[in-house]
Amino acid sequence: MSIETGDWIIEACNLSYMYPDGTQALRGVSLKIPKGGKIALLGSNGAGKSTLFLHLNGILRPREGVVRFAGSDLKYDRQTLLELRKNVGIVFQDPDSQLFSASVYQEISFGPLNLGLPEEIVRERVETAMAATGTGEFRQRPTHMLSYGQKKRVCIAGILAMNPSVMVCDEPTAWLDPKNARQIISLFNQIASDGTTVIISTHDVNLAYSWADYVFIMAEGNIMGEGDPESVFRDEILMYKTNLEKPWLVEIHEILLKKGCFPADSSMPRNRDELYQLLRNNNMCRREEMLNDFNNIRDEGRERNNVTLGIKRL
Amino acid sequence: MLNIDGFAYTNRLKNVHPTEKAVFALLTLFLCLVFSSFTVSCLTLLLMTVVTVRRAGIPYRAYFRMMAIPFSFLVVGVLTIGITITTQRVEQEWLGSLTAAGVTFGVTSGSIIKAAELAGKSLAAVSCLYFLALTTPVVDLTAAMRKLRIPSLFIELTELTYRFIFVLQETAEDIYLSQSVRWGYSSLKNSYKSLGSLTATLFLRAHHRSGMIFTALTARGYNGQLSVLAPEYRVSTANILMITVVELLLLSVGVIAEVKGI
Ligand SMILES: Nc1ncnc2c1ncn2[C@@H]1O[C@H](COP(=O)(O)OP(=O)(O)O)[C@@H](O)[C@H]1O
Ligand SMILES: [Mg+2]
Repeated sequence: MSIETGDWIIEACNLSYMYPDGTQALRGVSLKIPKGGKIALLGSNGAGKSTLFLHLNGILRPREGVVRFAGSDLKYDRQTLLELRKNVGIVFQDPDSQLFSASVYQEISFGPLNLGLPEEIVRERVETAMAATGTGEFRQRPTHMLSYGQKKRVCIAGILAMNPSVMVCDEPTAWLDPKNARQIISLFNQIASDGTTVIISTHDVNLAYSWADYVFIMAEGNIMGEGDPESVFRDEILMYKTNLEKPWLVEIHEILLKKGCFPADSSMPRNRDELYQLLRNNNMCRREEMLNDFNNIRDEGRERNNVTLGIKRL
Repeated sequence: MLNIDGFAYTNRLKNVHPTEKAVFALLTLFLCLVFSSFTVSCLTLLLMTVVTVRRAGIPYRAYFRMMAIPFSFLVVGVLTIGITITTQRVEQEWLGSLTAAGVTFGVTSGSIIKAAELAGKSLAAVSCLYFLALTTPVVDLTAAMRKLRIPSLFIELTELTYRFIFVLQETAEDIYLSQSVRWGYSSLKNSYKSLGSLTATLFLRAHHRSGMIFTALTARGYNGQLSVLAPEYRVSTANILMITVVELLLLSVGVIAEVKGI
């Protein structure tokens, strides 16, 4: 992906932040978010991801450094902040700390009403957001009777209804089962395909690798590395320094490359299907056997361990 | 536990316009309080029970269990009014009396009527409120309150309190579970200690969460006013007509009872 200057929607320059209790959460963070991208902020617990997110929407004010939105420095007066919050929506990690209303409908209508939109428009937006997130089916149920995944979707709908140009999601897949996590991720893909910039934080390297088209790696209040997922996750030193595991697809690709199964310049597979495709296209190993193996594994829908085992057997 | 909240979201009248239900319940309550007539009270009680159980489909067992709650308070009240205690040797129209050490306990026809009136009126009033509580979710009630221009501070407080009762309850259950799997409630002494720390933790968590909620609200442009829209309900002419007829009937019964003095 090539990004020209001027295509940054949010920029942070040299942000430092210290919590009142003296915890230095950010230590000179600089990053530039490309417009319309799918961005993952990867880092372990306590790296400072949530703190950074709160700066992107003007909730926290940095001790040092500046935040820029669409090229202009953020001023912290009421009007500018309201304008920023209209454009940058945050979905927080814990839905119970975001849902203030027992009614799904009321909850979703809150954001767009704050933008001062007329009632008919707000109702339209609520309906659209409910349709996009699949939350319409439980509009009659109170939020305390929803499952965790459903609550999460209501939270996302509440932000979506504000039509932000950037949607920030703090650990969207934490605590979700695989099926719900997949649903959320495909929802993000859909949101991103409408031109919205989507930023998620996660500590799941596989998710960041498969989903994002640009990755920032954070540790101890610093950005340790960034780039497209292919190059970031192949950086052994970076992975080692930040205590991150390699995504399983990268690992397998490297093993197979070493075994000479692919030409050295073959592109890295970004998901399971791409891996199978690659294997099919480069049927250099014991072809039939391997394809059968992989097809079986695929049919059974198993992941990582089986694939790794299959390859070790080759 | 009685699941009033659950019934409110699942009963057969859940799609009826909340204002219609509120008007029905409150108007009936008003009439029943204005006419202190035993007949009106009995009619109200009957009406509300039928509507709640038959129309809204609330299981009658649950309904009567709920009705039993005010009953115990009622018994105490009725006894104090129904039984006259006196030390004077004045001749009264005792229906039955007992004198011991110069004190006379007894019931008169007047006191019995008064007690019955009180019991009827209380139960009828409670049945009106139960109807509302069992058929109308709190979120709909507050929406109706908004329409009735009740001060928004009061409404917002109601809504937040309602929402966070459940969050608090969930948190308390989690803490309780994690304590009890570690034998936190194995003895009386442990129980006291665990309960103490549960309470303390609950306060801390609630405080922490209120901070986070505020942050999340601010992120969505909160400006001191929790403005929200409620889903739209259809107004039913048939319902309004029915409510009008029923209330008029009740009114005329009340007036007749008043005139005839029953
Ligand atoms: N409200 C707070 N008060 C004090 N310290 C905090 C607060 N929130 C977070 N921290 C600290 O700031 C650091 C970064 O936290 P956070 O941004 O939540 O990281 P992450 O989201 O990556 O897990 C951690 O050391 C954390 O303990
Ligand atoms: Mg966090």
